[in-house]
Parts: sequence; C-alpha cells; structure tokens
Amino acid sequence: MECCGPGYSSPSEAIKAPREKLLYTIAIYTGTGIQKPDYLATVDIDPDSETYSQVIHRLEMPGIGDELHHMGWNACSSCFDDGSMSRKYLLLPGVRSNNIHIVDTATDPRAPILHKVIDGNDIKSKTDLSGPHTVHCLGSEIIISMLGDAKGEAPGGYLHLNKDFEIQGRWENSMGDIKFGYDFWYQPRHNIMVSSEWAAPNTFMPGFDLEEVGHLKYGRELHFWDFEKKEPIETMYLGEDGLLPLEVKFHHDPDSSHGFCGAALSSNVIHWWKDDTDKWQWEKIIDVENEPHPEWPLPVPGVMSAILVSMDDKYLYLNNWLHGDMRQYDISDPHNPKLTGQVWMGGLLGKAPYVNGVKMAGGPQMFQLSLDGKRLYVTTSLFSTWDNQFYPEIREQGGVMVMIDCDPINGGMTLNKDFIVDFGKEPNGPSRCHEARYPGGDCTSDIWL
Amino acid sequence: MTLVTLENRGGKTFEVNSKRPILETLRDQGVDLPFGCKYGGCITCAAKLISGKVDQKRQVALNNRQINDGYIILCVARPLTDITIKIGVESHDSLYRNPFLDPLEPHELKADIARSKEDE
Repeated sequence: MECCGPGYSSPSEAIKAPREKLLYTIAIYTGTGIQKPDYLATVDIDPDSETYSQVIHRLEMPGIGDELHHMGWNACSSCFDDGSMSRKYLLLPGVRSNNIHIVDTATDPRAPILHKVIDGNDIKSKTDLSGPHTVHCLGSEIIISMLGDAKGEAPGGYLHLNKDFEIQGRWENSMGDIKFGYDFWYQPRHNIMVSSEWAAPNTFMPGFDLEEVGHLKYGRELHFWDFEKKEPIETMYLGEDGLLPLEVKFHHDPDSSHGFCGAALSSNVIHWWKDDTDKWQWEKIIDVENEPHPEWPLPVPGVMSAILVSMDDKYLYLNNWLHGDMRQYDISDPHNPKLTGQVWMGGLLGKAPYVNGVKMAGGPQMFQLSLDGKRLYVTTSLFSTWDNQFYPEIREQGGVMVMIDCDPINGGMTLNKDFIVDFGKEPNGPSRCHEARYPGGDCTSDIWL
Repeated sequence: MTLVTLENRGGKTFEVNSKRPILETLRDQGVDLPFGCKYGGCITCAAKLISGKVDQKRQVALNNRQINDGYIILCVARPLTDITIKIGVESHDSLYRNPFLDPLEPHELKADIARSKEDE
C-alpha cells in the first residue's frame, strides 16, 4: 500500500522494504580519557560498496561530555497517513549533559548534519527533568523518558517535544508510585504503555555498586499505563526475577497484547499479555543461569542489557554482556520460547576473545536487526562508567561492531566473516559504539496506530 | 587566592577563586578536563586529591571507599586550602572496581546508605 507519510502500512510491509545500506551508531569519548566530543558515525553496510564495513562519516557534537547513548526518530510508521511528516531527524540525547541533539539525516543520508540542540539546562529549568534515555514518537509528537529530576534523583518523568522540537513540558499527568524510569513502549490499540526501571542517574551514572541493589536503589518493577490518560494504572512487582528490568518491547503486530522485558541483573526475560478477562499477566520465560568464573568469588550474571523482537514477531534476540553471547529464541509461542541460535563474541568467560581478527573488549551489548530479519548488527560498549568497571581494557581497544547472519525461516545465527568495524582504530583514538539505527526505520523504532 | 597544583601536568600551578568549583576555574585558565553532568552526580570529572582540603558536600557520585581513596568531584568541589591534585583518567586507577571481584563493605557504600564501621 502506497501512502504519503513515513514508514510502512504494517509490519509485514516493513519486512519487504529495500535492504539497508547505511547504519548510524553513536560513538562516545565521554569517560574514555580522550577529550573529544561524542559523535554520530555513519557505517557503510552495502556489501557492493567499496567502503563496506567502514565508518564513512563522523558528525561531532558541539561539546564534550554528553555521553550519547540511545537515539530515536522524529517520525515513524505511526505517521504513515500524515503526508506532512517525514522520517528526517534523528534525536541524540546526552545522558550526562542533558542536551538533546537533533540531526538531519535526510539532506545527505551519508553525511548527517546537526539541525538543532535543545539545551540541557533549558530542559531542567522548564521541566525539572534530566537523564534522557528512550525516544519515541507519538504521531507527530515526541516523548523521551527522563530518568531523573533536575538534580539526578529518581523517578524523573517524560519530556514532551512537539514536531518542531520545542519543549512542551512534561508528558505524563502523574508518575503514581513509580520509583524509577528507563525504557518504555506503547501499544495504542490496547491503550497501554509499559515502562521499566533502571535507577536514578545519581545511582547508575558513577558506576555499578552491587550492594546498592540490595538497598533498593535499582528497580525491580514494571509499570502499565493508561496511555490516553498518561498515568500509571498497574505495577508488576518482579522481585528477584526482575532485577534491573531494562528494555521493553511489544510485539510489532499492533493488535497483539504480548510484550517482553529483559531484566539485566537477573538475566531473565519477562513476558506479559492481556488474558481472556482483560487482566494483564506476567511470567518469566527465559532464565540465563549465572556462570562460574575461574578467578572470581561470585558467579557471573549474564547481564541482559537489551532485547529485540524481529519485525515478524517470531524471534526474540538477547545479549549476555558479561558472559559474551548473543541468543536467538523462537517465540512463536511466547509462553514457550525455544533457543534457536547462539553466537559468542567477547565477554568475560573467554569463549571468543577474538572476532574476525579483532581482539574484543566488552561483550555483546546493543543490537539492531534488519527489517527482513536477516542481519543483526551488534556493538560492545554499555555505558562509559560500567565499561570501565567490567572491561577496563576497552579504554585502549575501543568498541567493535559485528554482524550476525540470522535465518528467519528455520532459526539460527552465524557470525558474518566479512564484516567488522573496529572503533579502536578511529582517527581521534579508541571510541565506543552503542545503539544503531537505519535511515529507513528499524526493528526498535516503529509503532502502528 | 588559592593555589591548585596539577601533579600529573609537570606540577603546573594555578591561582583560583576558592568560592568557585575547581573544574570551572581550571577550565577558564585553559586546562583541558573531562566532565559530564556538572552537578556532582556522574563521576566523569573525578580527580585525586594528593594534598590539601576541599569542600565537596554537593557531590553525590562517590561512595565512601572512593572518598577514602582521595577522589574528589571537580565540578562541585571548592578548595579550602592550597591543594595538589592528579587529573584526568590517569588518576582513575582505583576509581572503578569490578563489583563482583571486590565488593564494598557496609561502611564503604555511598553516604546515604552506609553504616558506620563500628556498627558492622
């Protein structure tokens, strides 16, 4: 179906989109000892191009110390019927500086340009919010989860921007009893939004103290929101099964009520759905066991910092950042996932210290899947201070982007031998790549109304 | 006027206004320093105090072990005396610790949740 707005009429149409040729990833110098701005890297992922598997452009932010992290589009398939909108701008929040950078990727997709910066201090003074994380668009409006108030204390709230990137104030009408914020995803046909919990910026930004988990400084709850009323209606207490519930993903099918969250420290996948009596239920469907380490007194948790659902809703991908493996599960029956693929890259267990000749520092961390479900791009850095704790060698070696070939028909994952981007070799010194996006939309951006 | 000496910049010394944060006064004089949040919450600007005293009551990033190891948060710390510090990531040798290898004692936690050593 042809229309005039951005994105695709449905997930099944998105799967048929042309193959991605460019990929954007942020790369940081914050916390690395190199006094340069963080930047947006354009990576050539067209195998027919002479510069395949290379960084072909770098857009530096105006200042240092932002810690770019996640990104989001100004518009997605939720604006498919709106001819006045286009997927032109990528929003790059700085978790530490609070600045939000608006980047024009459409004028020259290979060489994006900075369009506007929303000053972090302006956001603080107008909304009492800091610590920007997840960016979603809501039709022509934009909301961003902010993990703290202006002083970095939880729970923060949601920043509302209009389509011209002007601060509209707080999006939510109430935070209810929510203790922390992090990620969120919404499913409009069920009038539901689900949000998760990391910690206050003042807790997670300086690094991870395990002892603070026991002192309830990190989250263990999921929150269900009345999306239209913009207020929380129900909390799921996950307890020990859900320590640090981070990434939230619904099925892409807008009629589905099924969704998933990866609890990073427990290294579990939590599944929720609406039952026959319209009640929200949850269960743990994947439990990655801690692994013994030859030299550590404590067993090592997987640290499942990200999850992703393929556009056809058939596969769930997850990482174990400390163990070093990426996994693919068939979730055709979301109550009974089946492990169908696994790839090792880096990690602390010594299973894959080198990938395609590059010595790994870090483990699989963020990833983005192609719309057709065949190519998964994976990066290795989590967050500057946490990297420095668990993988101090990343300072000298930098981050890495690898590609995993995925079989969307029969399941299975294989490390691609021809692709690797070594951010240890960047012109200004080793940087660290994190989240990635494709110009045409991706598996973590689009929502259908 | 108060003097700030940078031990790992050849002992270079700067005169600063002791009422303003050290990060600000050093950057104004051309010292290239890392920073992030600029309100004492994110640890990016941490430096090591070698001698002298600072007021860093506004910082919330450091746990008690890091404070005992001499770390200060330059974006909010103000010198109370002449000080000598080590700056940048070269000073971060004991700032970051693997929490599974090297757990904190109850008295080494951040101030708001730490127990005093006598109560342990």
